[in-house]
Amino acid sequence: MTMVDRTTPPRGGPIRNFDFPEIDRRRLGNGLDLRVARVSRLPVVSVRLFMRSGESALDAGRAGLAVLTAAAIDGGTRKRSGTELAEALESIGARFGASAGWEGSTAHVYCLADRLPEALELLAEAVLQPGFPDDEVARAKEQHLAGLRQREMDPGSLASDTALARYFPSEIPYSRRDDGTPSSIEPIGAQQLRGYAEANYRPEGGGLVVVGDVDAGEVAALAERCFAGWQGVPASAADFQVVPATREPTILVVDRPGSVQSEVRVGHVGADRLIPDYFALSVANLILGGTFTSRLNLNLRERHGFTYGVRSRFAFRARPGPFQVSTAVGNDVTAPAVREILAELEGLVEGGPTDQEVSAARDFAAGVFGLQLETVGQIASRVAQLVVYGLHDAYYHEYRDRMREVTTAAAHAAVRRHMRPAEAQIVVVGDADSVAGALQELGVATVEVEQGQPRG
Amino acid sequence: MSLSIPIERHRLDNGLKVVISPDPTVPVTAVNLWYGVGSRNEPPGKTGFAHLFEHMMFQGSAHVPKNRHFELIEGVGGTLNATTWFDRTNYFDTVPSHELDLALWLEADRMGWMLPAMDQEKLDNQREVVKNEKRQRYDNQPYGDWGERLQRLVFPEDHPYHHTVIGSMEDLDAASLADVELFFKTFYVPNNAVLTVAGDVEVAAAVASVERYFGEIPAGEPTPPVPGRVDVEPRLGGTVRDEVVSDVPLPRVIMAFWTPPFSSDEFPVGEVCNALLGMGRASRLHRRLVRERRVAKSAISYQYPLLSGASMLLTWATGYARSGLEDIEAALGEEVLALSDVEQAEVDRAIALVETDLVHALEQVASRADQLSMFELYFGEPERVNTLLDRLRSVTVQQIRSYAKERFGPDNRAVVTYQPANGNGGA
Repeated sequence: MTMVDRTTPPRGGPIRNFDFPEIDRRRLGNGLDLRVARVSRLPVVSVRLFMRSGESALDAGRAGLAVLTAAAIDGGTRKRSGTELAEALESIGARFGASAGWEGSTAHVYCLADRLPEALELLAEAVLQPGFPDDEVARAKEQHLAGLRQREMDPGSLASDTALARYFPSEIPYSRRDDGTPSSIEPIGAQQLRGYAEANYRPEGGGLVVVGDVDAGEVAALAERCFAGWQGVPASAADFQVVPATREPTILVVDRPGSVQSEVRVGHVGADRLIPDYFALSVANLILGGTFTSRLNLNLRERHGFTYGVRSRFAFRARPGPFQVSTAVGNDVTAPAVREILAELEGLVEGGPTDQEVSAARDFAAGVFGLQLETVGQIASRVAQLVVYGLHDAYYHEYRDRMREVTTAAAHAAVRRHMRPAEAQIVVVGDADSVAGALQELGVATVEVEQGQPRG
Repeated sequence: MSLSIPIERHRLDNGLKVVISPDPTVPVTAVNLWYGVGSRNEPPGKTGFAHLFEHMMFQGSAHVPKNRHFELIEGVGGTLNATTWFDRTNYFDTVPSHELDLALWLEADRMGWMLPAMDQEKLDNQREVVKNEKRQRYDNQPYGDWGERLQRLVFPEDHPYHHTVIGSMEDLDAASLADVELFFKTFYVPNNAVLTVAGDVEVAAAVASVERYFGEIPAGEPTPPVPGRVDVEPRLGGTVRDEVVSDVPLPRVIMAFWTPPFSSDEFPVGEVCNALLGMGRASRLHRRLVRERRVAKSAISYQYPLLSGASMLLTWATGYARSGLEDIEAALGEEVLALSDVEQAEVDRAIALVETDLVHALEQVASRADQLSMFELYFGEPERVNTLLDRLRSVTVQQIRSYAKERFGPDNRAVVTYQPANGNGGA
């Protein structure tokens, strides 16, 4: 047996190039933006119908209406009950669902490619002719409310939800979760759902994405049939500017007596999806808290053992979403963990990333991008992003090159522009008796303590 | 459709089993290792150790300093992780295909030369990380102790599935460097592992690389038998219960049934039952409990693929604040037993969905590799990936009906119930 040099990592072979699949883009007779990509690894297809009817366009009084409407789509159509719709889809092996978020509502289906004609027809029937029968809507609403209740008692969810209201002023939709509150959901009935879908499930500003083992011409003909006569513009449109709730640092402890761990969130208003330094900021965030070997994780987990893991993330939306560091740490190390998070943020802002960090992070981002294009669903999600954010057609073909062009100076500039540790809003959900005193001693801000949700 | 994932098997002289599955359609390669060791191999007083050891495997090896494995794989745009479970521990790296050798070199170094890099500081650090993992995922979570309670109910104290993978804080505290060394020498030997390489590779080149990096790792002794008593009665002999009142938002009933182990010819029947009960919106539990009876906000089922003596089919239903636990439990019990009247059309629908989900799973080479490793390690038969669907299709309506009658009745149930403290959850 030949001896192997184990002291140095083997060098990679030649990079195998590959391209993001070509996208056939055309406009249907009713104006619907159709984008088809042929991917023939396996005989499957993924469909996403995006409509610009999102939670961003809803005021606080109607918060959650888009999400609940999408959830109740499975309650049936004008022709079929909810169970009949589910049976029709599942008997052809189709996985169907609908959901809504800040930017819009999406109906999606995944099935074997030869089942696409039936599956697309069923998807169109569900979206264009929803039934919203009273009993199914009552069921969906009760599920929704129970889900909100579950989140309130889950410490991690409670921390994230609480933090939003610290970052954004209450009149901005982003100050809440995208699925509403008990008081906004409670008054909603079947009539509101029917009215919302009728007015907002409209093709203008949306798009139909089909990726898989399919022919674009055939898909176009099929889509013309399924969506014939469907027209119009969603009635509600988003109209708000994002400003931070405060420029001062704050610390809020949500008391959850008896907690054996603290859920910690540190953040502030972040950046929107169309900022010119998107790639540089993405690289910078990977360095801070986006990978296992990020500064935050190596510090809090691998050096100190404070946590199972810590991450940082920008929620890039049409308008600036939150930038946030998230972790869960032991009670006795809660204040030291917050101190280390702030120190890492300050260190990155002051000193900037190193050349080596930037090189590793952009290689990671460019490489992982390729790894995440294996499934038709992953590709369809990317193509849908082009529609949602109005990105140009070649965006994903150029993605890796743009990522690899990020310089150390550009990453540092992005950090300075978008990370502001001096304005950090800190939220801790945990046992106040164990953690509040030490947090106060950090000298960052006066600690406010709030009771957790009353039980029972 | 019938599946034909290409599969090449190979075995090194040191006993390492190798599976190669080429697929040139994406520039991605998955390297996936399954070691035949999990929580079932832990003797009393060492619970949680297999998982803690998995963490130690990321703390470096003779030629790879701490964190270097992550740095190197992430630096080429790859991803990696590991998981520990009852019967096995798996490690997986997914890399751009031109970096196959890097992943093999790293995995070989820790299989062959892990111990020189171990020290007390690393053990203490990862012990704290794992204790925080336990707090985050179990102790600080509503319902977080359900698995521990269920395993205690279903499996006798001397059975290897009586304790959880995460283990106890006391046992984690007691773990020593000597334990790390013994565990490594006993279980982390090439003859107790499967290595699968799936994706954009040439078979001959991949085999040569595997030989190069893993070939000189010496074989170990055969692994010792699983401690404790593995044989169990074929059913629970009644309904065993654990009733919990705690800080949970909503009432929940967990109902599990003892089922034959993964190796049993009956196992595919259980898998079809699982699909009929819990897969999709037309499935029994969703349709009856959530949509029609509205006694639950959600309901799921899961068939554990366990090896040692018995397995479990798990169902659970989470109620509303207004739902009584007795009503939820009665409804859940009725609906699982009602599978004894199932018809062919419903079975066909369930199988159609299983097929879609299977093809979806095989779209990703990492998931493909994981299944190949499992079937090689457990049954010496990676080809089961391609015959899985046929095995399920061959299950008859009569088999399902009998299975439901025999397994899902009150003489074979373990029930864990959660009642929100203070009477109700308020929603």
